[in-house]
Amino acid sequence: MELRFGFLRNARAVGALMCLAGLALLLWPSLLAAALGVELLAGAFWWWARAADNPAEQVARWSWLRRPAGALWLAVAIQQVIPTLSFVPTLFTWDMPAVLKWAQSLAVVWAGLELLAALPLARAYSDVPGPLIAMRPWLPALLPSTGFVLLWRLSPLWVAVPDVRGAAIVLLLLTAWLATLRALGRRLVAASLRWLLVSDGAIAAVLVAQRAVREDVSFLLWAGAFGGRAFLLAGEMRSAAGRRGPRLARLWRLANWTASGCLAWPLLASLGTPPYTRDRLLEYLFAAIPVALGSLVTVSRLIPAPERRAVGRRQIVFSLAHVAAALSFVMGPVALWIAWSTGFTPARNPALLAAAPAVLGAGLGMLRRPAFVLDAVRRVARFTSRGVLTRERGAVDLLAKLGQGAASPLRDLHTGDAQEYLLFLVGVAVLALLLPLLQ
Amino acid sequence: MNFFTGLFGVGAPLIGAALALLAAGFLLLHDRARDGRLYAIAPLVVLIPLAALVAYGGRSNPAWAAVVAALVATLLARARDDSFQSECALKLVWVLGGSLALSWAGLQLLVLATGTNRVSEQWGVLNLGIDPPQLWSAALSLSLVAGIVLLGAAPFHFWAADLFQGARAWLAPLAVAALQVGGSGWIMGRLAGIAACPEAARLTSYLLGIAAATAFAVGAVAVLWQKRPERRIGTLASLQGAILLAALAAERAGRYHRISAEDLLGQWAPHLVLALTGAGTFARFLPVSGTGAEPAAVMFRRHPLSAAFGLFALASLAGVPGTPGARLWLDVARGLAGSERMGLMLALAAAWLASFAVAVRQAREAIGVPSRGPAPEQPVPWSARAALWSAGAGLLALGWAWR
Repeated sequence: MELRFGFLRNARAVGALMCLAGLALLLWPSLLAAALGVELLAGAFWWWARAADNPAEQVARWSWLRRPAGALWLAVAIQQVIPTLSFVPTLFTWDMPAVLKWAQSLAVVWAGLELLAALPLARAYSDVPGPLIAMRPWLPALLPSTGFVLLWRLSPLWVAVPDVRGAAIVLLLLTAWLATLRALGRRLVAASLRWLLVSDGAIAAVLVAQRAVREDVSFLLWAGAFGGRAFLLAGEMRSAAGRRGPRLARLWRLANWTASGCLAWPLLASLGTPPYTRDRLLEYLFAAIPVALGSLVTVSRLIPAPERRAVGRRQIVFSLAHVAAALSFVMGPVALWIAWSTGFTPARNPALLAAAPAVLGAGLGMLRRPAFVLDAVRRVARFTSRGVLTRERGAVDLLAKLGQGAASPLRDLHTGDAQEYLLFLVGVAVLALLLPLLQ
Repeated sequence: MNFFTGLFGVGAPLIGAALALLAAGFLLLHDRARDGRLYAIAPLVVLIPLAALVAYGGRSNPAWAAVVAALVATLLARARDDSFQSECALKLVWVLGGSLALSWAGLQLLVLATGTNRVSEQWGVLNLGIDPPQLWSAALSLSLVAGIVLLGAAPFHFWAADLFQGARAWLAPLAVAALQVGGSGWIMGRLAGIAACPEAARLTSYLLGIAAATAFAVGAVAVLWQKRPERRIGTLASLQGAILLAALAAERAGRYHRISAEDLLGQWAPHLVLALTGAGTFARFLPVSGTGAEPAAVMFRRHPLSAAFGLFALASLAGVPGTPGARLWLDVARGLAGSERMGLMLALAAAWLASFAVAVRQAREAIGVPSRGPAPEQPVPWSARAALWSAGAGLLALGWAWR
């Protein structure tokens, strides 16, 4: 191995290769390519984890990535079993093709939601660094983006199944809530940014599910929001390069706020259309509050990084960070213009209602006072998000333990002596005699 | 028609059995070479009947299954000093012997009910409706027990895992494959001509469906729970038994996709024996599951290509997409979809996901974490690697022929 496959020892390069191949496959409009892509991504994380300083911890931490891959492989298998699955109005027809189509859409949504931290199984991954030392704080940002791209690329497979789509929207909005609360509660800018990436991905996925705008517009809106935050997060790893100097910090604040505001605008505009009933208002608030919180975090956190050097750095007038910020700033409005020109023209009231949460959040963030109120909000957000994450983790662990307990009799089957096997056989034979009578 | 398609079209089970026998010969050389080569390969004479059963199945005479069970138990019991083998022999005698006795009782009850011992005539007599259905349905149910146990379908999956852990590397794959093929022969021989009695066909489909669903569900949990690589292979073998049971349950009810268990057996048996040979040999060189951060297995460090063949066999046994084994899972799933067996279909999906997950976990544990020191000095014996190559080559050819 050492001689013939020496290149495999370079964990960083092999993992990066697998990761890039996986991401490239995800962009391919094919279920098989998506399954292979997520499997490669899981493989990349494992390859990095096994070469880390603490491999046991890292391997265990990222082993959950195989679950979304498994779900997608199940979807592929269902497609292979019946390639001509058609639209299914509801699961409750209990027809085999209907159940298979439903299971396929559920598998696709499961994979996307789990990568987007929208399921309680591995939700807190944004709180921990990734397995590759050189990119540890940045690496988890890949996962919500993968989740969104998956849901966006494979939307024909799940958006058409109402049960699955409805459940996915609820879970995604809950995720947006939890992610923005967590982002508000965390002190570190990098941690907040990672959670805001989750929130943006969730809101973008709801946009895809709602079909408020064309899918390419949804992608462009998400790309603007994700690109800006991901670049900023990468900058955080290099001495907060994205927040060096007041001018650059202001530019990034504006760019990120614009991009995330544009992303949420079509969704809120579609929810803000008449008739204004109580249910409609609740739906609107359910989506609007995380948008406002996200906006508050974006504006209040992206302050210039403190200069700790005796001799300050030279302020560069024009850099890659400026270009990236400008690009992120432009993408959202351009996407909205495309949407507008292709028929998405909400009336004045819905349009204003859609812009209100982002403006309100930004206003509060700009004011930064009364300080004790904002501090109390941050503490409440921290307490709530941590409480929810801990409790749902506890519930999942309890279910896992119950499952293990239920399966423990199987252990006896493997440790019993021969006489017990014979008794077991006699028991099964008695059951075989009774089964025909129960038919 | 290319070479491989032609070759495997002529006799895939025969070629599979021959390759498994060749691999067993290599493993025998490794196990007993210190006493002379001729002495080492002498047990091949006893393994030939096992290979023959794999090649030709046991449909013509279900009693072959009993003969093979006795032969395997004898081979295991012969190594008196080996406590693992002795325990395996004892367990096999109790479980297989007991199940064969129960099924024999069922067969005699059917003879009593119908007045004939010819299977094809029995269905005709039963269709006349002279006998009380309680008697013959209980007899029919009992007569199938031996086949289900021999197929290693969970909850009778433990004997296959025991054999892989306790028996010699040259014996375990062929013995398990022969017993499973014997089990399939037992059931298929019993059900020959059952279409003549629709009520009996319906009852059999129901019973086999329950047996297969239980086998998938219990097998899926058991395979995830296993820590030893050999036991994982044994439990995966039991899931292969469940596949055949599901195919038999779905066979006659197909509405828009019919499946022929007879045709499936022609693919299932050679794949089973080759995958078990490769994966079983490979498992002997793998560590017991731990934290997932153990160093790479010696085989991966010293002989990565041979290890890749072993991994391929394991993947195929687990039905990983792209391997010949995946085709079997898909064919049976299509049959189940066609026959509207929803519960069975869901159980099959769960079992497939579990076996796929176990194959990936096993591969990751085998590759392990990068080790800083030099590779261990003791290499994996050439004979074991030759066994892996022959099984792996057979599986590759099978995949090529089925593409």
